[in-house]
Amino acid sequence: MKKILVIIPAYNEQDNILKTYKSIINYNKKNKTNYDVIVINDGSKDKTGKILNTNEIPHVNLIHNLGIGGAMQTGYKYALENDYDIAVQFDGDGQHNVNYIKDLVDVLDKDSDIVIGSRFIKDVGEFKSTAARRMGINIISFFIKLFTKKKIYDTTSGFRACNKKVIGKFAYSYPTEYPEPISNFELLKQGFKIKEVSVEMNKREGGISSISSWKNIYYMINVILSIIIISVRRYK
Amino acid sequence: MPIKLILEILLFCLLMFIIILIILKRGRISVKYSLVWFIPVIVILICALIPNFMMMLAKLLGFQTLSNMIFSILIAILIFICLSLTIIVSGQKEKIKLLIQEVSLLKEKVDDKNGSRK
Repeated sequence: MKKILVIIPAYNEQDNILKTYKSIINYNKKNKTNYDVIVINDGSKDKTGKILNTNEIPHVNLIHNLGIGGAMQTGYKYALENDYDIAVQFDGDGQHNVNYIKDLVDVLDKDSDIVIGSRFIKDVGEFKSTAARRMGINIISFFIKLFTKKKIYDTTSGFRACNKKVIGKFAYSYPTEYPEPISNFELLKQGFKIKEVSVEMNKREGGISSISSWKNIYYMINVILSIIIISVRRYK
Repeated sequence: MPIKLILEILLFCLLMFIIILIILKRGRISVKYSLVWFIPVIVILICALIPNFMMMLAKLLGFQTLSNMIFSILIAILIFICLSLTIIVSGQKEKIKLLIQEVSLLKEKVDDKNGSRK
């Protein structure tokens, strides 16, 4: 039986975190799975920390806010330390659906190092995000394809499952900002196998996305610049 | 160059020198990074002490006046200092991130062992 860890980074997620945790626990009971959960509390200023304590949710409290990349990497370090075979990135805001974790893990088992839960492969779910944002994601996809000849449809998706090899790599180095597209690109560059699985995502139930709309252009420029820089970097 | 100007420049350099030394003495700056700030002081000093040679050099390099050359050199040095500071800050940010992660993980482990989740 493979040890599976669900990593949930949480920054000011007091409205959603308990619901998200319970959905995974209930799923475990129903399907006789044993997904472990670790919540990385990224120095939340609201009641997130208190909720985690009173409900005895396994968590790591970061002593200072690190941002999404640093928090996520802490989860991967935890996974490495505790010898997990598979790590699943899962949002604390109710966007991701626990029922799809199995789909991701199944594909991962077959023949890939990391599996992305993608919104855009097939037409499922009502949430497709705004047209502007989709265009942004398409442009990033285009750049990734330009440099690696491989197509990733939903490169900004934060719903991903990866194997032990990738856990080790992420624990060692993980991008601080805009981690998903950049780390996907880095993995492709280093010859890891990426697959995408179609998933349905819910609309955000509360909290604020780490990418607010007016920052979209800045986000794009940053990601594309990072991709160009990484592509000229050499890996041993 | 008028003698007044040279005196002013010398006074300024002396002041800069003393300020840097005081900061150094108080341990607010490490010797390694203080050296960077002596460079512009020395450049200004040289320009003030051998103006004729510098004037010639300015003409040779195509500057219309000596002051233009001095400004350009100082701006270049300041840009370089800023860049090196950015490099230092980036490195420190990475180190602080690592520290926060490791301490937090360790804390979780210790709390877990003691059975008391604070």
